Amino acid sequence: MREIWIVARHEYLVNIRRPAFVLMTILIPLIGLLVLGVAALAGGQAGAFLERQFAPQLQAIGVVDHTGFFTPILPEFADRFRLYATEEEGRAAVRSGEVSVLLVFPPDYVEKGEVQVVSQGSGFDAAVLEDSQRVQAFFVAHLVRDRVDPALRARVAEPMNLVFVGVEGGGAGQGGMLSTMLSIMVPYALSLLLIVTIFTSSGYLLQSVADEKTSRVIEIVLSSVNATQLLAGKVIGLGAVGLTQVLIWILSAMALSGGAAGLLGVVIPLMARPEVFILAVVYYVLGFLVYAVLMGSVGALGTTMQESQQLAGIFSMMAALPLMLSGFMFSNPNMPLVRAFCWFPLTAPTMMMVRLPLTAVPAVDIVGSIALLLLSVPGVLWVGAKVFRMGLLMYGKRPNLRQVWQALREA
Amino acid sequence: MDDTVLEVRNLVKRYDGFTAVDDLTFEVRRGEIFGLLGPNGAGKTTTIRAIMDIFKPDEGTIVVLGRPPGAARTRVGYLPEERGLYRDLKVLEVLEYLAELKGMDRSRAREQAQKWLERVDLAEWATRKVKDLSRGMQQKLQFVASVVHDPELLILDEPFQGLDPVNVDLLKRLIRDLQAEGKTILLSAHQMNLVEVLCDRIVLINRGRAVLYGPLAEIKRQYAAQTVRLRGPAALEDLPGVARVERQDEDWVLTLDRSTPQEVLRHLVERGVPLTAFEVGTMPLEEIFIAVVKEGAHA
Repeated sequence: MREIWIVARHEYLVNIRRPAFVLMTILIPLIGLLVLGVAALAGGQAGAFLERQFAPQLQAIGVVDHTGFFTPILPEFADRFRLYATEEEGRAAVRSGEVSVLLVFPPDYVEKGEVQVVSQGSGFDAAVLEDSQRVQAFFVAHLVRDRVDPALRARVAEPMNLVFVGVEGGGAGQGGMLSTMLSIMVPYALSLLLIVTIFTSSGYLLQSVADEKTSRVIEIVLSSVNATQLLAGKVIGLGAVGLTQVLIWILSAMALSGGAAGLLGVVIPLMARPEVFILAVVYYVLGFLVYAVLMGSVGALGTTMQESQQLAGIFSMMAALPLMLSGFMFSNPNMPLVRAFCWFPLTAPTMMMVRLPLTAVPAVDIVGSIALLLLSVPGVLWVGAKVFRMGLLMYGKRPNLRQVWQALREA
Repeated sequence: MDDTVLEVRNLVKRYDGFTAVDDLTFEVRRGEIFGLLGPNGAGKTTTIRAIMDIFKPDEGTIVVLGRPPGAARTRVGYLPEERGLYRDLKVLEVLEYLAELKGMDRSRAREQAQKWLERVDLAEWATRKVKDLSRGMQQKLQFVASVVHDPELLILDEPFQGLDPVNVDLLKRLIRDLQAEGKTILLSAHQMNLVEVLCDRIVLINRGRAVLYGPLAEIKRQYAAQTVRLRGPAALEDLPGVARVERQDEDWVLTLDRSTPQEVLRHLVERGVPLTAFEVGTMPLEEIFIAVVKEGAHA
């Protein structure tokens, strides 16, 4: 145990000081900052566009009413819609940024249905408005306001507030649509995060193993610790390096886009279905361990960095497979193919993270896949250490499959 | 306390049908310098890797410091044949890390590393990166890396390989010093002339098999009497009891077969061969090896 810790600490400290690591870690947030900077420099247009994209809900909408249907504005819409007497006043409000867009209702609106959208942006704004449920509700509520009672009016304006209940009784309870969306998005993001961590950490693992192999220092190290301890230490240390990098990226992304949104994204689904979130973290950790060990041992097989990378690419594809199949999963999260992938240890972590929030996953699938993952971690470590040990001591040539098999048989 | 530090018994290791080490048996005793000798490809590195628990033997047993291979690794120092260190790390960091891996605590590791760097005149390079060191300095550092954790048993695989003459001398001195400090040293080499001055006992292996084993002095005594070095004209053929005649620079070296140097001298005098020099040979280990291997091939 002590040896694993020493190797892990050494790998962590050495690798976070590598110029390549520092550069990559700083570069990504810097590019983000640069994009925002360019937007700010390009002046109002681009800046305002970005602002509208990130927070369209917060902007007020101006209304110039030549029909009488929208005067005065109903109290429940007063927070977002503002009435202007003339088009000139309305345009001035758009120019000053008081409102993002101006809706002009001509006298023949009811017959023709045409509404002018005045904006500093592009025609895209009109499309966004047309899709907005809130704007739809605004129209409907005002058109029927004198014809029906307020309760019915509210229903006509917003006929559905869907609450999902799975056939087994599970499902999103409280929290509404936003929470449900986020509870799908967060595990989805976590599975993406897993793939990113696997890619970055496996890069470091490959590099570290290839370095020790080409510099021949590996034999001294193997005379001090056994292959299993070395591999485990590397996985932990370099996993921590990868995690550090991803954390820095996430934190800087949150800082750049205003931390509130990111925080909300984590907290709300946590409140709605805490078990989904906890399971996602469990799958994340187990998935990372299985993949990191695999990458480390595969890395030892190649004679050069490039060769190792090609070999490792096969496993990276497996991690990404569930995301490619997410279409199937959204339509039927309990279909046999999806269930099979959820049991297979190499695809289970990412697959489950996407599937869990979509439906009530049968308990047998969860227990079974976690049990299989728990068994595979030491299994992969055991097999990996053998392959790792053989690969490390073979200089200049890559072992063939028969030699790998032979190494596995020799206990 | 048991005097045997390392015991190798009936060791066999095969690769893909090729037998690299074939039924090898020897033991290393406390406080001695033991030579594992043989030509390239004889199975020395394979034997050492099995002792270091890097390979598992196919057959046979190995006991290192009273325990199975691998169990006592913190008390063993190892200089592999394939050399290399972390090139991007600082000298002191490399030594500290390797000593820590061998079970030393951090502060002690640093202390020992500094002490050793002074001992080999590298103290002022402690905070430089390994890749900034010259080749000779890296060789010294590599040796230090194998002893920094104060091992009881030191295993050096071809330690003189690629060393310049100055470092060969330094290394010989260090090995003798370590022996004087009570360490046990196993060293392998194919340049036998380099190690024969160092070793107390040897095992000589060829094609994975031991061909000679025992105290070096005894082996040399046993074989020395079988050669004669002399200076004189040619025409030394068909002397009774001489198996082989070889020209070495100015001299002739006669390998004897069932006869003594005295008998050879008597024959020469009887024949009236004018000699300018006659010497009972002290046979270099290399020649002993060649003789033994040829003997084995004939048998």
